[in-house]
Amino acid sequence: MRFQRVSKAVAVGAAMALALSACAPGGGGDPAASESGAAGGNGSAEVTNSGLADLGDITTKDGAINVSIGAPEFLSYNGFTPNTYSTYNSGIVDRMFAGFSYFGTDGTLYPNEDLGSYEKVSDDPLTIKYTINENAVWSDGTPITVADSVLAWGVQNLNLNEGGDKEKPLFNSVSVDLGDTVPKGPQGDVAGKEFTVEFAAPDPDWALQSWMLHPAHVVAKEAGMSTEELANAILAGESDKLKEAAEFWNEGWVTNPGTLPDEAISPVSGPYKLGSWKAGESVTLVANEEYYGTPAATKELTFRFVEDAAMVQALQNKDLDVINPQPTVDTLSQLEALGDQINIQKGDTLTWEHLDFNFTEGNAFTNLELRKAFAMCVPRQNIVDNLIKPLNPEAIVMNAREVFPFQDNYEDVVSASYDGRYDEVDIEGAKKILEEQDAVGTKVRIGYSAPNERRTNQVAAIKSSCDEAGFEIEDDGDAKFFAPGGAQDRGDYEVALFAWAGSGQISSGQNIYATGKPQNFGKYSNEQVDAEWETLATSLDPAVHQEQVKKIEKLLWDDLYGIPVFAHPGLSASGSDIQNVRHTATQDQIVWNANQWVRAE
Amino acid sequence: MLKFIAKRLGSALAVLFAASLLLYILVINSGDPLKDLRESNADNREYLMAQRIEYMELDQPWYLRYWDWLTGVSKCFVGQCDLGRNINGVEVSGLLANAASSTLRLVLIATLIAAILGIAIGVLTAVRQYSGLDYTVTFLTFLFFSLPVFWAAVLLKEYLAIGFNDWIAAPDISLGTSILVGMILGLILQTFLAGSLKRRMLTFAVVTVFVPLAMQYSLWLNFYRYPQMGPAFIVVLTALVALSATAMSTGLKEKRVLYPALITVALVLIAYYATFYLMAEPNTWILLGGLILAVLLPALVGRFMGGRLRKVAASVAMATGFVGAALTVVDHLFRAWPGFLDNKGRPISTIGSSTANFEGGYWDHFLDNGTQLLLPTILLAIISLASYSRYTRSSMLEVQQQDYIRTARSKGLSERTVIFRHAFRNAMIPIATIAAFDFAGLIGGAVITERVFGWKGMGEMFATGLDRVDANPVMAFFLVTGTAAILFNLMADIVYALLDPRIRV
Repeated sequence: MRFQRVSKAVAVGAAMALALSACAPGGGGDPAASESGAAGGNGSAEVTNSGLADLGDITTKDGAINVSIGAPEFLSYNGFTPNTYSTYNSGIVDRMFAGFSYFGTDGTLYPNEDLGSYEKVSDDPLTIKYTINENAVWSDGTPITVADSVLAWGVQNLNLNEGGDKEKPLFNSVSVDLGDTVPKGPQGDVAGKEFTVEFAAPDPDWALQSWMLHPAHVVAKEAGMSTEELANAILAGESDKLKEAAEFWNEGWVTNPGTLPDEAISPVSGPYKLGSWKAGESVTLVANEEYYGTPAATKELTFRFVEDAAMVQALQNKDLDVINPQPTVDTLSQLEALGDQINIQKGDTLTWEHLDFNFTEGNAFTNLELRKAFAMCVPRQNIVDNLIKPLNPEAIVMNAREVFPFQDNYEDVVSASYDGRYDEVDIEGAKKILEEQDAVGTKVRIGYSAPNERRTNQVAAIKSSCDEAGFEIEDDGDAKFFAPGGAQDRGDYEVALFAWAGSGQISSGQNIYATGKPQNFGKYSNEQVDAEWETLATSLDPAVHQEQVKKIEKLLWDDLYGIPVFAHPGLSASGSDIQNVRHTATQDQIVWNANQWVRAE
Repeated sequence: MLKFIAKRLGSALAVLFAASLLLYILVINSGDPLKDLRESNADNREYLMAQRIEYMELDQPWYLRYWDWLTGVSKCFVGQCDLGRNINGVEVSGLLANAASSTLRLVLIATLIAAILGIAIGVLTAVRQYSGLDYTVTFLTFLFFSLPVFWAAVLLKEYLAIGFNDWIAAPDISLGTSILVGMILGLILQTFLAGSLKRRMLTFAVVTVFVPLAMQYSLWLNFYRYPQMGPAFIVVLTALVALSATAMSTGLKEKRVLYPALITVALVLIAYYATFYLMAEPNTWILLGGLILAVLLPALVGRFMGGRLRKVAASVAMATGFVGAALTVVDHLFRAWPGFLDNKGRPISTIGSSTANFEGGYWDHFLDNGTQLLLPTILLAIISLASYSRYTRSSMLEVQQQDYIRTARSKGLSERTVIFRHAFRNAMIPIATIAAFDFAGLIGGAVITERVFGWKGMGEMFATGLDRVDANPVMAFFLVTGTAAILFNLMADIVYALLDPRIRV
């Protein structure tokens, strides 16, 4: 299941995209994207919403399924440290750990009823009650208890540190804010199955927090204390007593490639556990026989570390059963040539491309009229037709920032915030504005992280259109565009072309659009936008969120913060005999429901 | 000689040190190790950056970081290497061990094959300079040499892996195809064997008739799924080797050579039965021991019975013993093949060095590793074939112009003696250098091959490290390849001295 939201952002970084959570909750509905062939034809379970399909009463089937999500080596059982966190490592470890919730294919959050349940019991202060299933146990038979949640809170708590210095936390974790957002931690009998958490401030993204990570009893044992002692020390904030525990959590699961940590210290809470690891080649997960929920559909799941370029032939040769290559037109046409040997899963992802203006003083685009002129001449439809449709025939121009075209509320949000005025390229209109503003020949440097062929092509398309209108477009693609001292850092650009990756968070757009926030790269400032975000971020009511998103989108369109272009396409493929492989738009990638994959008879 | 080696080693160390300093500075300045975080929007981006800066000591000046690395490495002299950890917190020494072993497995056999075949082709084309064979082989080697590795790998996978695997499921060769193959082989063989027009035509005719018949017969036997050889076949083949080796060295009339060879054939037959059950489930040590015995025993027989010709007798018997042992191994592989096919229905894989979680006996694993190694080995070998064959050819041609070759010919020595004793040995001197460099280069240079076949070797470690501006793995790569380059260079110098008495000090 999913780790915490911060880690998602890191993941995106690792995937070389830019991370930003963007989507509002979609609510149940249609699966995210066109699933050409996925659920049809080979006996896959019927898909009713964007969550996991109901496989009925299944037993684990013998056999192995080979999957590759990329070349990077497996890193560690503990994928929650800054060193070991990556999308690739998460693709593997997420199969081994159950969380209280998971993302459906369109970014909708679903509760994971295998592990337990949660409900909001109070709005002010925001209090959530979690219940762990009675029969939920770690794979070594130890019951999963509140102590495990206490550990999850402890590792995300900067107040457990060395000598009172928040810069030196005991636990080297990717996520560190729970100690302040939930000051008291999980409240409840540490040996029991129920706890409540009380947030210091309203947090619309409360359901995304991770309250279940690693086995507390193992950490306690390695630190020479009892599970109760460990949990109580964490809750009491006794950093001194926790040094050994933290040291084990930080280092104890890191092993040399090819050597798995001892099974005694690596029990799991999810449907799969570590089986074997061949350095540089593969890591095999085997079904967790002690799993208390729906068992894994197939006994062995082997992750192979394969370059994208070698994936298609490996699939054809049946060395791999499921692949997740970078979506390129070449890869797609190779896959299509394989005909009915395979199923191809295509669709949008929660990553979206956009052109952002630079609002630093003295920049040409601080002038709204010029931003409008630029928006008029950017050939968005043309870009989507030429660069995206070959990969995803159903792709459309994206007209929103906080919702995606495949989400249910997209139409609603767009119709309330945008009147379609930039749908058609209007060279004449742009020309007129430029003349009125006496700005013919305005130089527009479009910066992006190079090399990136698709972005180079986009800039070329923009250049051929906008130069006609009187702009002078310059391709400023540079490997160091975002680096310190790079063009973005110095402010030497007019437009930045990049992508944010959504992670299902509701409120993190504030970091991009509100004044003075760290991801507000273009130094945009609009008091009204700031205020609307504040309202959104402090509300717990989905209806308010929905309303605020519309208002914010409208403001951002009217004021032209930037221009959204398209949602990135995703691509994966599976042997036609593998059932239940489904595309997902989220960062979880194709393996999100790997515990349901099974080979047809 | 010792002084010479010591001097070379000393200068090598100095070079290594200077190069490591230069490389270290280049690597840590090659990019931004925080790149992924800078572009992230995590709430705690600053914190994550601070963590990484502290972990990778990015706030330290370059000389302190280099000093840290150097002190870690210098502990190697006391046997406690500390190569640091990579950006993911994994110990580089562990990474290096895995990467080096997989690259060595990949490169070793390929280099040997390329060197042996390349030198043989080079000698052959030099001896038959400007013949049709020379032109054809030259054309082919250059063609192979200029193949883009990536593209060639895709083709190999398409035909030798996917195509072969589809075919082996239900082997079938149409009559037309087998006749065509027969004709092509006939053409090739007559170029190699050469001779008068009549002889060439005869070669062509025999091959063109024999090959299609053999192919259809093997299909009828279902040979490709159930191959078999049996002791009788081994004995016949080994005996043929014994006879032809004797004929080529001294002639069949020389009993002192012929008898040890024939006794070896008998020994092979005895060994076949004696070791049958042992060989059904052996281990690598048994195989190695067996190979040593298979060469050593015949050599002793040859020495005792050879008398004045004991050297020749020993070599002939050794060759016979070796072939016999190899055929015995092939026989056991044939026996294991049907079971292996049941276990792994598509025997040739396109990725990795072994099948994940493969279960089976020793021979099954042997076959599994072998089939996985097949494609990358072929690829690496045919690409480096060209340089060996071309260098050997020109070196041979140059040597054949020398006065001492004319002298040898005028003494009335046979052409074979002139070429192998006098010309070939001297022509090998420059090749030794090339082989040494080639091997050292391949250790670090098989990056693309490693990538397309999904092996995590040295090249991959280097590329990944550089991509993430992670100095420790890159430096570990440098340490191994740099040391290898210097060592092999040194070895080449020593081999030089052995081959060429003129530079012996």
